Amino acid sequence: MKNQLPVYLNDDANRGLSLSRRTLLRGAGAALALPWLEAMMPREISAAEQEGRAPEDSPVRMAALFVPNGVRQDMWTPTGTGRDFQLSPTLEPLADHREQLLVLTNLWNQASNVGDGHYVKTSGFLTCTTINKSLGIDLNCNGRSMDQVAADHSGQQTPLRSLELGIDPVTTGVDTNVGYTRVYGSHIAWAGPTSPLARELNPQLVFDRLFRAANPKRGTAKRDQLLLDRVLGDADELKQRLGASDRHRMEEYLQSVRSIESRLQKQQDPGGDQWKPLASLDPNQRPSDQRPDEYVEQVRLMLDMIALAFQTDTTRVCTFMFGNAVSGRNFSFLDGVTGGHHDTSHHQNEEAKLRQYQLINRWHIEQYAYLLGKLHSMQERESTVLDNSMILYGSGLRDGNSHSPHNLPILLGGRGGGRLATGQHLEFGTDTPLANLYAAMLNAFGTDTNAFADSTEILPGVLA
Amino acid sequence: MPVESPAHPTTAFMPPRINRCVGALCAYGICAVCGLASTAWADDVSAAIDFVKQYCVDCHQGEDAESGLDLAVFQSQDDVAESIEAWNRIATRVSERQMPPEDSAMPSDASRQAFVDWIRQTIHTAVCDDGVSPGGAMLRRMNRTEYANTVRDLLGIPINAGHALPRDGAGGEGFDNAAETLFISPIYAEKYLEAARSAIGHALKDPGDRDRIIIATPNQDRTAPQAAGEVLNQFLPRAFRRPVTEAETNEYLSLFNQAFEEEQSYSSAIEFALVAAMVSPKFLFLYEESAPPGQQTLVSNHELASRLSYFLWASMPDEELLRLADEGKLHDEAVLVQQVERMLRSDIDGQGLRRDAKVRGFASSFVEQWLGTRALGVEFKPDKSVAHGYDSELEGGMKYEPIFFLEDLLADNRSLLNLIDSDFTYVNRRLATHYRVGGEFREQPKKVELEGDSHRGGLLGMSAVLAVSSLPHRTSPVLRGKWILETLLGTPPPPPPPNVPGLDESKDAATPISLRERLELHRTNPTCASCHDTLDPLGFGLENYDVLGQWRTVADGVAIDASGKLPGGTEFDGPEQLKQALLERKDQFIRNLTSKMLGYALARGLTNEDDCVVESIAKELAQNDYKAQTLITEIVKSVPFRYKLNH
Repeated sequence: MKNQLPVYLNDDANRGLSLSRRTLLRGAGAALALPWLEAMMPREISAAEQEGRAPEDSPVRMAALFVPNGVRQDMWTPTGTGRDFQLSPTLEPLADHREQLLVLTNLWNQASNVGDGHYVKTSGFLTCTTINKSLGIDLNCNGRSMDQVAADHSGQQTPLRSLELGIDPVTTGVDTNVGYTRVYGSHIAWAGPTSPLARELNPQLVFDRLFRAANPKRGTAKRDQLLLDRVLGDADELKQRLGASDRHRMEEYLQSVRSIESRLQKQQDPGGDQWKPLASLDPNQRPSDQRPDEYVEQVRLMLDMIALAFQTDTTRVCTFMFGNAVSGRNFSFLDGVTGGHHDTSHHQNEEAKLRQYQLINRWHIEQYAYLLGKLHSMQERESTVLDNSMILYGSGLRDGNSHSPHNLPILLGGRGGGRLATGQHLEFGTDTPLANLYAAMLNAFGTDTNAFADSTEILPGVLA
Repeated sequence: MPVESPAHPTTAFMPPRINRCVGALCAYGICAVCGLASTAWADDVSAAIDFVKQYCVDCHQGEDAESGLDLAVFQSQDDVAESIEAWNRIATRVSERQMPPEDSAMPSDASRQAFVDWIRQTIHTAVCDDGVSPGGAMLRRMNRTEYANTVRDLLGIPINAGHALPRDGAGGEGFDNAAETLFISPIYAEKYLEAARSAIGHALKDPGDRDRIIIATPNQDRTAPQAAGEVLNQFLPRAFRRPVTEAETNEYLSLFNQAFEEEQSYSSAIEFALVAAMVSPKFLFLYEESAPPGQQTLVSNHELASRLSYFLWASMPDEELLRLADEGKLHDEAVLVQQVERMLRSDIDGQGLRRDAKVRGFASSFVEQWLGTRALGVEFKPDKSVAHGYDSELEGGMKYEPIFFLEDLLADNRSLLNLIDSDFTYVNRRLATHYRVGGEFREQPKKVELEGDSHRGGLLGMSAVLAVSSLPHRTSPVLRGKWILETLLGTPPPPPPPNVPGLDESKDAATPISLRERLELHRTNPTCASCHDTLDPLGFGLENYDVLGQWRTVADGVAIDASGKLPGGTEFDGPEQLKQALLERKDQFIRNLTSKMLGYALARGLTNEDDCVVESIAKELAQNDYKAQTLITEIVKSVPFRYKLNH
């Protein structure tokens, strides 16, 4: 099925991304895509520079990959614990990365054990808090996601504080059935209680963003500063005139503008910007203009972008959603699967559906293995980028049929700069807080926190 | 089950206000005339207390009350007025026959109805009798669609400047213009800056477009700053949608001057100042001056111009609206009505095709989100096993049918009941083949009069609607029934309890068993039956339409049986009779549509007080043959649309 739409649809802003891009680019000429390409001066990292790096030049990176709709239980958990374990059928694609892997059994997210089947377990996946039931007006996750806590720590040291990526656009509408806006099902990263972070869905735009951040245009900084000052001035003026309840909206915009400003200032100040790319971004790696129709391709490209962002050290924190909550994505592109993801996850213990459910689970694990492999192939001094990363993989519920947040399917890949005791299957006591894992990850990431949300301790056995 | 399940049943009771006082559920053939006629019990609270004692308190009592709802303490109208949401929910549950539960004592139909009417009348009295008060001053950023349309109209060039912006979620009544869900992430400023540079750069490349924007250049009579001043004096009021002060112009002029001093290029410096204006929150945010505390205040003329244009065009006010605002005439009711008519205009060319009308921006934003058809090709993609011949032209035809249909109703001021059933629709070439409709068609949808046996007419004959209420690989009477209750009548069923057994999907070739038989098996379970007795029959009425909405008479080797019986006793056979059954519930349909439209117009979720407005507009519509323009003009004239209040 092609996404191409008839010509008369061109004027509509809601059409497919690929079409509007093509239309714009055709109309504007290639010039639109070019400004930063022209300015590109790929910066080769000399061997001498590589040699001279301090150990801090292998920073720890953290990513969280969210998969909707849970997993088939009996095919997920490995047999055996500790270092001596057998990968389960679903986890088998991770065989090559066994020594870089932690399989974590019996973690749960107590705060999401209320409300409804999916929304609470998606927005609450990284916050470990209970979100407000709301169609919008009282929207609140009552916390922050753990990736953003990590970004507080690393954000100043890289051009981008964090990257939020996805495949599905925000699901439209509100779910009057259960009383939640679908905004909740489309976000895992929360900068603050009322600030879900918008995700980038187009790999090409991600690449351009990485490129711009790493390769500022020279010579326009002073003018850009003038412009931002004007915008900040206007925002301040409006803020004074607004009622108290609306000021936070303008404050959000002020912060958004200030983030460009601070990047600009760092770049202008010769001594101020300590950041150097750990690898140069090759313009040839820019994904083609066309967003691929195939889901598989879209996912692979996004995972490539995570790998590039980490390899170049443009950011150290990233979240990615394979799909939104309740995703009904049609997985019939897999041999043996005929249905949509969500529908299949309600397997009712029928063998036919369970088989399909597991195939879908396994496909997701293959993509995770692809990312781990990619990071592993990226050499960084004596180690690899994977050695210096921790890549969380998980779902907000265990079994799609019962929507339970007990014993969540959770994996952690990469050695976290040697701080993680990988190569193990760890089985904890029933209902051990997921937040304990997050506390451990934040600790390994280098923050001085030992706690997160409803954590009770740092998850034992995870840290090396 | 492709629907949400609560993890814990006790939390299912208290969703935010879904069915407000006007939300009488009529799918059961017992249609409450909510809050209008006096009820059987009038002001008699004792009858209501008796009802509750007899049928409710057994379970809903004390600390362990079911769903945390303690009805033993109920003793006066004030109790209802203090928990309107909860009582609306009670009214809906009782009206829907979900309560009392099957195995307990049952009230008579008359007594059940009297109780429901009493609750709704009591709520209406409590909320509406003191008059309606408006919401606060508006502050929200433009959404992605509005941003694209606004840049297009501001610069006068046909581009989609919003393509790289993140998409917006929805809040309130289910639309992505709801202020409460228009967040700003850190990524936005960067996106706006890039988009503004691209758009302005693009606009200034074409000499014609350039001359409309850069209306003055320096020459022997005027200096560069003087020329820039002229450009800014024309551009800024349009960009900010209101007159600008001299100080504001000077701020941007000073920006120009600094850039000009540096580069000595007029062109580059003025471009720079215009980009800055397009990244200013004064452009990006629809904002209104806050009203004096506690006083219900008319929105200013320019604020009204923007409220109108973002409602009916999803874009900025045009010259005429801004001029009327400058002249202070927009609050004049005659002017307002005349402007609404003008804004809804959509001309038909010599070939019978509708030209690009600005009202389409409204029709598509509203219809796609109300009906959920925006999901077509995005969240909903048909499985290849059922998608024979599905291509982009068919998808386009499907998506645009309801949009052109609503545009037609608005522009030609037809009855809104056409949405339930009509003798015309809009098809393009592929959709005409799909529907087996004869005539000359092209890629763009065109109006077609329907023959008596066309099986089309109204929303329920539209393939986009039939598709998004299906599963990718088969139709789902449950989902279609749910779609009717939720989307057309505004009375969504509660979510299924967790761990309910689903359908046996296995197909045994030797003994073909129809979907109907499988669902009927499912309904022998009384827990399931309480909701599915309503959902399934509605959906079965549409079984003659396959996943993509094509007409069929056989499915899975079994002849389609599209008959059904609703809990109130109404029987029907096939979509034509189902539509007749829905027409009998037109008041409920109209109230729901009015509610959605008001929520869209106000760009926020509605309150109980807004429901008083919905009710009076619905009354007005009933007296005006349900004319589409009446709905719009009544909304535009309403207190919440024209006033603001500093709460």
